[in-house]
Amino acid sequence: MTDVSIAVAHLVKRFGEVEAVRGIDFEIRRGTIFGLLGRNGAGKTTTLECCIGLTKPTSGSVRMLGLDPSKPHDLGLLRPRFGAQLQTTSLPEKARIGEVLELYARYYGLRPAVAALCERVGLGGKERQPVGGLSGGERQRLALALAIQHDPEVAFLDEPTAGMDAYGRRVLWGEVEHLRQAGKTVILTTHYIEEAERLCDEICIVQQGRIVARDTPARLIARAGGGSTVTVEAVGFVPSDGVARAGRWHHEPPAGGSDGGHWVLATEHDPGPVLAEVVRAVDEQGAQLRALDMRRATLEDAFLNLTGERIADEREAGAA
Amino acid sequence: MLLAQTKMNFVWYLFRDGEMMFWALAMPIFFLVLFSFAFGFGNTTQASAFLVPGLIGAQVLTLGFFGVGVMLAQFREQKVLRRIYLTPLPPWVFFAALVLYRLSLLAFQASVLALAGSILFHVRFTGHPLDMIVMLAIGALTFVSLGTVVGAVTRTAESANNLASVLTVPLAFLSDAYIPLDRFPSAVSAPLHLLPSTQFIDALRGVTTGGEPLAHFTVWIAFLLCWALGGMLLSARIFRWV
Repeated sequence: MTDVSIAVAHLVKRFGEVEAVRGIDFEIRRGTIFGLLGRNGAGKTTTLECCIGLTKPTSGSVRMLGLDPSKPHDLGLLRPRFGAQLQTTSLPEKARIGEVLELYARYYGLRPAVAALCERVGLGGKERQPVGGLSGGERQRLALALAIQHDPEVAFLDEPTAGMDAYGRRVLWGEVEHLRQAGKTVILTTHYIEEAERLCDEICIVQQGRIVARDTPARLIARAGGGSTVTVEAVGFVPSDGVARAGRWHHEPPAGGSDGGHWVLATEHDPGPVLAEVVRAVDEQGAQLRALDMRRATLEDAFLNLTGERIADEREAGAA
Repeated sequence: MLLAQTKMNFVWYLFRDGEMMFWALAMPIFFLVLFSFAFGFGNTTQASAFLVPGLIGAQVLTLGFFGVGVMLAQFREQKVLRRIYLTPLPPWVFFAALVLYRLSLLAFQASVLALAGSILFHVRFTGHPLDMIVMLAIGALTFVSLGTVVGAVTRTAESANNLASVLTVPLAFLSDAYIPLDRFPSAVSAPLHLLPSTQFIDALRGVTTGGEPLAHFTVWIAFLLCWALGGMLLSARIFRWV
């Protein structure tokens, strides 16, 4: 049995003149939480839809669990083995949550465990509520329940927390952790940096249909985050000896003619120990410490450096 | 699975939808009463004996073009079909459940119309019940098949709705359903006899209130089955689930 859950090679997808995916390659090992991170229109959803057989690739190949989802026969074998939470899942407005879960369980030949499943996705006690009366976040959680209720080997989550409130996000993140512990493979697309950083073992940054970078969140930050900064405002302090070698120091003159100014250290090292060293140096020099600040590089910095684009604005818009 | 899906179709799309209940059950009776008096010229029994099979036939057209064709287009536009496509449910089960739901509804509508015609206007159904059922089934098969083509060739629910309206309304009025074709000039009525809707409604009328055996309509039945087969082949080729 191969250790690779998903293998995508030279994937290209064109819609008429528009090339949504322009030669994407990646492999996902079993048990990995894999994120496709990018702005809206980057090609994340199209890639995911090619993986689950909803969209036929223009060229290139996709293998899921060793099978080709673009072939009807293989897709038939794959359907019970994967689950998908799509960006928009439309269900009959007059249907009740419990009825939908019950019917979908039957599609998979399962005995429905409606109450437990509702509890699991934060819809406990709402089994009799009609789908038409659910908020956007509740609909997303119902879609999540439909995606995972048959205990799939691979779960595809397309922008799973778009439009969700904080509670909904916590529920979903908890469920992804649950899937991780169960050794499942999860592929999620998101344009939320925090979500990708928090959940994913590996991230592909996608821009205009291409993969710009692929690594663990920590390595992406270390590689492209631009390092961390330590800012020290202390009267009589001069970086010297050990702290001088911690990175690049530069002095920023005081604003408004006040005395002192502050020193800013840009470092590639872990800023925590560097900060402790700076405090020791300030103390040894008998300088008077006025302010001390540390800023670690984030995945957002890495994203900006790699793509030249900010993603934060979209997150705020999405959360609104 | 088929029965479970069909049951939920009834619950979700009929029992919990008051408007649908009204259109499905009250409107045919309303038309029966209205047209019986409007076209009866004093003989409402004779008019009703003509109208009951005509109205049932028109319901079959509606079943095919709207109940199946438009609904499939709506399901596709609302991305219901995409969600179903990702599950192990065989697509034919989903489709068959939709058809079964609509057929059951049709059977109920036809029974209500027949009962109303019998009680209100003393219409007598002289044909063999089995012949009536077989003729209804052939008509339903034909128009479900053609309705699926409507769902397949249109990209949006709105265009499916427009196409279904363009087909259903003229066909209902030009196929001997409400207005006898012999009231049209022969140059007009002759080609109208070639319509599958006319052949079906006339055959249905023959085996229900006309007292004729099914065998009298063998040629028309053959034509209807050809339409059904053509519709099936075409929709199998062009229908998109996603």
